[in-house]
Amino acid sequence: MNRPASSHPRPLSRRRFLTGTVAATTGAAVLSRAPAVLGQQVRELQVWHTEVEPQTVKTIQDTSIAEFERKFPGFKVKQQALGWGDLNTKLLASLAAGNPPDLTHLNPFVTASLHTKGLLRPMDDLIRALGESDIHEATLKLQFFDGKYYGVTHAMGATYFAERRDLREKAGLKAPETYDDMLKLAAALTEGGRYALQMPGEKLYMGFVHPAEWLASNGGSWVEAKTWRPQLNGRAMLETLEYLQKLNRFMPGGWSGQKYLDTLAALATGKIAMAHLSGARTIGYIERYAPDTMRDPEHFQPMFRPRGPAGQKGISALDGENWAVFTQSKYPNEAFEFLRLFYKKEHYLQYCHTVPIHLTPIFKSMIGDPEYLANPRIKKWRSWHDFMVTGLKGGRFLPIGFSRPEDNLLPFLAELDGSGIVADMIVEVMVGGKPPKAEADRAQKRAEELLAQLGFKRWA
Amino acid sequence: MRKNALAGWLLLAPALTLLGGLVLFPILYNAWLSLHDKHAFLTVHTFVGLRHYVYFAHDEEFWNSFYYGVVYAGSTMVLQLLLGIPAALLLNEAFRGRNLLRGVVLFPYVIPTIVAVMLWKWLLNDSYGLVNHLLVTTGIVRVPLAWLGRDYIMWSLVITSVWQFFPFVVVTYLARLQTIPPELYEAATVDGATAWRRFVHVTLPQTRNVLFVIVLLRSIWMFTKFDTVWLMAGEGGVSRYIRTLPVYAYARSFTYLQAGMGAALAVIMFVLLLVATAVYFRVFRQEEALA
Repeated sequence: MNRPASSHPRPLSRRRFLTGTVAATTGAAVLSRAPAVLGQQVRELQVWHTEVEPQTVKTIQDTSIAEFERKFPGFKVKQQALGWGDLNTKLLASLAAGNPPDLTHLNPFVTASLHTKGLLRPMDDLIRALGESDIHEATLKLQFFDGKYYGVTHAMGATYFAERRDLREKAGLKAPETYDDMLKLAAALTEGGRYALQMPGEKLYMGFVHPAEWLASNGGSWVEAKTWRPQLNGRAMLETLEYLQKLNRFMPGGWSGQKYLDTLAALATGKIAMAHLSGARTIGYIERYAPDTMRDPEHFQPMFRPRGPAGQKGISALDGENWAVFTQSKYPNEAFEFLRLFYKKEHYLQYCHTVPIHLTPIFKSMIGDPEYLANPRIKKWRSWHDFMVTGLKGGRFLPIGFSRPEDNLLPFLAELDGSGIVADMIVEVMVGGKPPKAEADRAQKRAEELLAQLGFKRWA
Repeated sequence: MRKNALAGWLLLAPALTLLGGLVLFPILYNAWLSLHDKHAFLTVHTFVGLRHYVYFAHDEEFWNSFYYGVVYAGSTMVLQLLLGIPAALLLNEAFRGRNLLRGVVLFPYVIPTIVAVMLWKWLLNDSYGLVNHLLVTTGIVRVPLAWLGRDYIMWSLVITSVWQFFPFVVVTYLARLQTIPPELYEAATVDGATAWRRFVHVTLPQTRNVLFVIVLLRSIWMFTKFDTVWLMAGEGGVSRYIRTLPVYAYARSFTYLQAGMGAALAVIMFVLLLVATAVYFRVFRQEEALA
C-alpha cells in the first residue's frame, strides 16, 4: 500500500543537516581560494621596502611593478612599505616561519648577520647587468662576502647636522671641525629659550647610529678587528662620552623622550638651531613649518660632523638599505627580474625624484645627470645635493651602524643594536650625568657577555 | 560500561585536544625552549640545561626589570583602587545624569591601547603637550617637565595605565555595591553611623570578596602588561627605565634575538606569578572562600 504523499515537507534529520553544513562549508572554503586551488593562476611576488612616502609607493607601483606585471602575466607584485622598526620585526617573524618575502630591503648592518646564517642568495649577475663599475664605491661592496655580491643599495641618502646657518654666521663662527669647536658653537647658539641642538631619542639613533659615527669620528671601532672584543670602554668611546656629557647642557631636557621627526619640526620652527640627525627629508619640514621668508638654503644648511681628538674627520651615516633575495624566496628569479626593471633608467629616475636628494641614485653616471638635476627641489636646494656629493668624495659617510668600512663583515651588529646596551650607556651618561668610565665599563661587560652568548667570542 | 567510558573519552577528546594544543603545548614548548640556546629565526638549537636561569640570577638587567615591574604593578594597582572605589561609590548614588556618567567612565577602558598611549604621549610631550602648557602658564613650573624623558617616564606610564584601567575597578566594584541590601545601611543609619562608619562597617565587609578578586586580577594583569609599556617607550632610548619583565622577555627574544633566554624569562615570570598567587590565596583564605 502506497503511503499518501504528505503535504508537509520531510523533516530534516540531524545527520543530513550536519552533512549538508560540512559540505557547504568545505565548498565555500575551496571556492574562496579558487585561483590558488584551481591551477595556481595568480602568483604573488612579495616585495617589502622601507620607502613609506605615498608618492614613492605610487611611483614604484606605476613604473617597475606595472612593467613587471605586463612582462610576467601570471604574476602580481605585492609591495609593502614598512618603517625600519616594523621591517625588522616583520622580517624576523617571516624568517622564523620560513616564509620570508621574495625581495626585501635590509639594513646593511643586518645583512652580514643573515649572510652568515646562509639565508641570502648571491646576485652577481644582476650587479654586472646593472654596471658594476658605475655603482658608487660608497655602496658597491657593502654586501660583498666571500667574493660574491649579496645585495644592492636602492638609493643613497646621507645624514648630517642640519643647521641654522644664519644664526651661526651671526655669531661669527665657522662650521665646527672638532668636538671643542662644536661645544663652543653650541654654547653660542643656546640663548633666549632656544637650545643649540637636539638629538633624536630613539634607541636606534642615539644608541646605535650615532655611537657608530662617534667611534668612526674619533679613531675607534665597535670591536677589535681580529678578536671581535667590544671596544665600548676604549679611549675613543670614553672621550666621546665626556664630550656628550658637555653637549647635553645645550639640548632640551626632554630630548631622550623625543623622536627624530620631532627634532626636524623643532629646527623648522626655531626651537633649536641644529638638528643632530638630518637628511634631505628635513627640507620637507623646512618647506612646511619654517617661516615663509626662511624656507631656503641661506637659512638652513647641512653641516658635517666634527671629529674627536683622535679622529681624522667627522663621519656620519649613509642611509641606504640594500635589496636582498632570500634562499627561502619562492620566486627568486622573478625577484631579480623585478630589480632589473626597478633600476631601468626611466623608472629609477622617477623613483629617485619622489624624495629628491634623500634618494640619490647609486649610479655615478646618474648623480650628475642633467635629467636628474632638473628636478625643481634639487634645483632650489642644490647646495644640499652638492654637500652630499662633497661628502661622498671626501669619504665622510659610512653605512648606518658602521664604525669602519669592514664592519659589513660583523655578523652581530643587529643583535648589538637590539640589545640597547649602548643606548643605556648614552642615556645614563648624558641625561643621568653618571661617570663615563663606570658606565662604559658596565656596557663593555654586557657587550662581552652578549657576544659570548651569541657564539662570537674570539678573545681569550 | 567500558563502551560508555570510551564514548565519554571520545566526547571529551575535542575539548582536551583544544586545551592541550592551546594551553598546555605552548607552556611546555616554552619551558623546553628555555633549556636551549636558540636564535630567534634559525631552526638550530643547543641544549644548555639551566644555564639561562643561572645567568638571570646574576643579571643586573633582570633584577632592574623585576624592580620596575613590581613598582609599576604595585603603584598602578593601588592607584586604580584609590580612584576606582570612590568613583564606584559615587556612581552608586542616585543623581541626575548618573547613567550617562556610568557610560562615560568606561571610555578609557574600551578605547584601543595604542590610542590611549598616543593620546597621553601627546598630552605629556614637553615641546607641544597640553599638560606642560598648563603647568607653565599657571606658574606651577618654570620650564616644561620632560615627562617622556628618563626622570619622569615611569610616572607617565603609571598615569596612562591608571587612566586606562581604573574603569575595570569601577565596574566590578559597582556591580557588587548594587547587591548590598539597603536594609543594612538603614539599620546603620538608625544606629547613628556616619557615612564613613557605614563605609567601614557595612560597605567594606560586604565588598571584600570582590576586592580580593580585583586585587588579584589587576596585579597579575599589570605585572604581565606589555602593550602599554612597550608603546610608551619600547623603541626609545629611555625604555630602560620602564623595562618591566614582559618587555625584557620580548627584547631578549626579538631584539637580542635570543629566543631561549626570552623563553626562560617567560618561565620565570610564570613561576613568580604562580608563587605570588598561592601566597595571596593563603594569606586571604577567608576572602577566597567568600569569592
